[in-house]
Amino acid sequence: MRCAIVGSGLAALATYATLRHAGVASAEIAVFGTHADPTSVWRERAASIHQQRMRSESDGHLAAPAFPGLAAREGTVTAIAKSLTNRYHPTVKLFLRHADQVRQQSGWDASFAERRVAHVRAGEDGFTIDGEGSFPHVLVATGHPGLVHVPGAVHAYEPHEYAAKVAVVGAGMAAATEWRNALAAGSEVVSVRRREPLRRPLNVPRAYFSKRGLAGFHRLAPAARVGVLHDLGRPSYPPGREWDADVPVADAPPPGFQVIAATGFRKGWREDALLADLVAAHDLETHDRYLALAPDSTVPTLTDDRRTLSIAGVAGQWAFPAADTIAGAKYAARAFTRRVCRTR
Amino acid sequence: MSYTLTGRIQSRLVATLPPLLVALGIHRWWAVELVALMLLFGIALDVCVYDRVFEYQPGWLALPLGALELGLIVLSMRMPVTWSTLGLFALGWGTAQLCSHALFPRFQLEYAQAGGELGRLGALVAAVVAAVTLAGIAGAVAVIPPTVHLHGVVRGPLVINHAQTIVGGTVRGGIIINASHVTLKDVTVIGGENGIDVENADHVMLDGVHVLGVTLDGIHVRRGSVMVKDCHVSAPHGPWVQGIDISFAMDKHMSMIEGCTITGVREGIVTHWVMADIKHNHVSGTSLRGIDMGEMSMGTIEHNTVVDSKGVGILCLDHSECDIARNTISGAQLPIQEQYFAHATLHKNTIEE
Repeated sequence: MRCAIVGSGLAALATYATLRHAGVASAEIAVFGTHADPTSVWRERAASIHQQRMRSESDGHLAAPAFPGLAAREGTVTAIAKSLTNRYHPTVKLFLRHADQVRQQSGWDASFAERRVAHVRAGEDGFTIDGEGSFPHVLVATGHPGLVHVPGAVHAYEPHEYAAKVAVVGAGMAAATEWRNALAAGSEVVSVRRREPLRRPLNVPRAYFSKRGLAGFHRLAPAARVGVLHDLGRPSYPPGREWDADVPVADAPPPGFQVIAATGFRKGWREDALLADLVAAHDLETHDRYLALAPDSTVPTLTDDRRTLSIAGVAGQWAFPAADTIAGAKYAARAFTRRVCRTR
Repeated sequence: MSYTLTGRIQSRLVATLPPLLVALGIHRWWAVELVALMLLFGIALDVCVYDRVFEYQPGWLALPLGALELGLIVLSMRMPVTWSTLGLFALGWGTAQLCSHALFPRFQLEYAQAGGELGRLGALVAAVVAAVTLAGIAGAVAVIPPTVHLHGVVRGPLVINHAQTIVGGTVRGGIIINASHVTLKDVTVIGGENGIDVENADHVMLDGVHVLGVTLDGIHVRRGSVMVKDCHVSAPHGPWVQGIDISFAMDKHMSMIEGCTITGVREGIVTHWVMADIKHNHVSGTSLRGIDMGEMSMGTIEHNTVVDSKGVGILCLDHSECDIARNTISGAQLPIQEQYFAHATLHKNTIEE
C-alpha cells in the first residue's frame, strides 16, 4: 500500500476520489474508518436539522474535477443562471446522490476497512497505523471531534422534533436553520445567543478559498493567524430573505421551552483522541487549539521526500481556514495527491 | 472566483489562443490588430483595475466587463467594426468563458484555488501566446505599406506598382495605379486622359483627391475595387469627360463612392458590370446623366444630390439591379429612368423642378 486515509467521512471520500482521478489504483490505497458509507454521519446531521439545501455552491461536490459542477449536473437554465450569480445552492438530495455516484465510481468500497484508528506513528520511510504496515503517505481526516452539548438540551445535529415552544441556543448556520424549522412547525421560537451572527454567503470570505487570500494568510505570524482563525470562526449564516427570521433574542432559555443546542462541535486537536496522541508522540507544533501545518496541509516535521502526513477536515484550518468545508477537503486532497504522485 | 493577478493574466493569455490562431490563419491585419488590442486592453485592465477592484469576481460580471473591453477596442480600432471583428471578439470572449468555467477547472484541478494560475504548462502556453501575438504584430507592422508625402507639383504620369500610401501634393498628367493596397490621400491631379487610372488592383483607397482638367475620366477603374471618399472632379477638358467610371469588376470586391462632388462633366458617376454603393455624392451640371448604373451592375444609389442634369438624373440601365433611395434630383430632364430589363427599386426620392 502506498497510501492510507484515516477517516471515512466526506473529506476522506474527496481524497479517495482525487487519488483515483490521478491514476492511483484502489489496491494502493487503504481507507480506515468507522463508517462504510462516507456520507452517513453528515447525512444524519443534515437530516436532523432538516437541511434542504447546501450552503456551498455548484462546485461543492466530492468529485475530483470541479467541472461539471452540481448546477451543470442539475442541467436546468435556472440552475446555471443562479450559479453565475452565486445564488445557486444545490439540494442536499442532489449532493448526496452525487456523493453516492462518486463512491461507486471511485471504488471506495474496495479500499475501505472498518476500524477505529487509535495511533499513527511516524517511521523513517512512512507511518504505521495501529502498529500495522508502513504507509509512505497518510492523510488523517477524522472530522469533527464531537458535539458541544448543553445540559438538558437536545443537540440540533441529533434527531429531534419541535415542541410548541422552542429556544435555540447558538447563532450559526444550524441555529438559523432551526429557527426556520421550528417556525415552520408552528412553534414559538426564541434565540439564545451571546453575540450577533455574521451574515456571509460562505463559511469564510471568498478570497480565503483561493491563493489570493491564502497567500497573505500563510504569511501571518502564528499569533496573528490564531487571531484570524478565531475571527473567521464566529457564527454566521447566509444573507437573504429566505434566511431572515423574526425571532426574539433572550439571554437564557425561558422556562417551559424545549432547548435545542445549535452549538456546533468541540474544537481543537486536544478534543480529537487520535490527533492528541499524534501530537504527544511526536511533539508536534501547535498554536492555541490549532495544529501547525504547512500551506499544503501537511505536518512539516513528519513530511519529507519519502513520506507525507496530511491533515484534512476541520483540523486542517492552519493551512486552509475553511478546512471543514468541501472546498477545504479538496484543498488537502489535491495537495496530498500531488505528493503521492510525485513520489510514485 | 478570486483571481490572483498572475492567474488573471495567464488565463487570459491561454484563452486567447483560439482567436489568435484564427487571426493568423486568415492572414488579415485587422484580425491581428483585434487580438492584440484584446490582449492589450485586457491585461491593462487586469493590472490597473480588475486586480485592485475585484477581490472576488462572480461569473455574471464577465458580461459587463466583456462589453467594456469591446467598447474600448471599438473606440481604438482605426477601421469600421464589422460582423467579422465582432465575431472574432466573441470567439475570444466565449473561449475565455468556456475555459474559466469548464475546461480549466476540468483539467487543472487546482485552477480555482490557485486563483486562476495554470501551473507550468499553462505558464508556458501563456508565454507562447504572448510571444506569437507580439511576433504577429511585428510582422504585420513590418509589411504595412510605406507612406510617401508629396510636396509641390510632380510631373506625371505617376505610375504606382507597389502597395503604398501617397499623401498630399499635386500631380500633373495623371496617376496610374497597378497595385493593390494603394491609398491616395489629399492628392490633386491636374490634366491627363484619365486623372486617376486604377487597373487590376484591389483595396485601393482614394481619399480626398481632387481631379481637374482631364480629357476622358476623372477616376477610371477597370477590373479593380476601390473606395472613393470625399473626392472632387471638376473643370473637364472637353465634352466627353466622365467624373468617375468603375467598370468590369463584378467578380471583384464591392466598390464604394461616397461624399464626392462632381461638376460639369458629361456623366457624373458611371458603372458597368460592378457591385457598387454610391452614397452622399453631389453631382451637378452634367450634360448627359448624373448617375448611371449600367450593364448588369448591382448596387445602392442613396442620399445623393443630382442638380441640373441635362439628360437623366439617375439611370438604371441594361439588366442592372439598382436600389435608389433618398436621393434629391432637381432640374433634370428625366429625373429617374429604368431601361432595358434593368430593375430599380425606388424609395423616398425627392424630385424637384
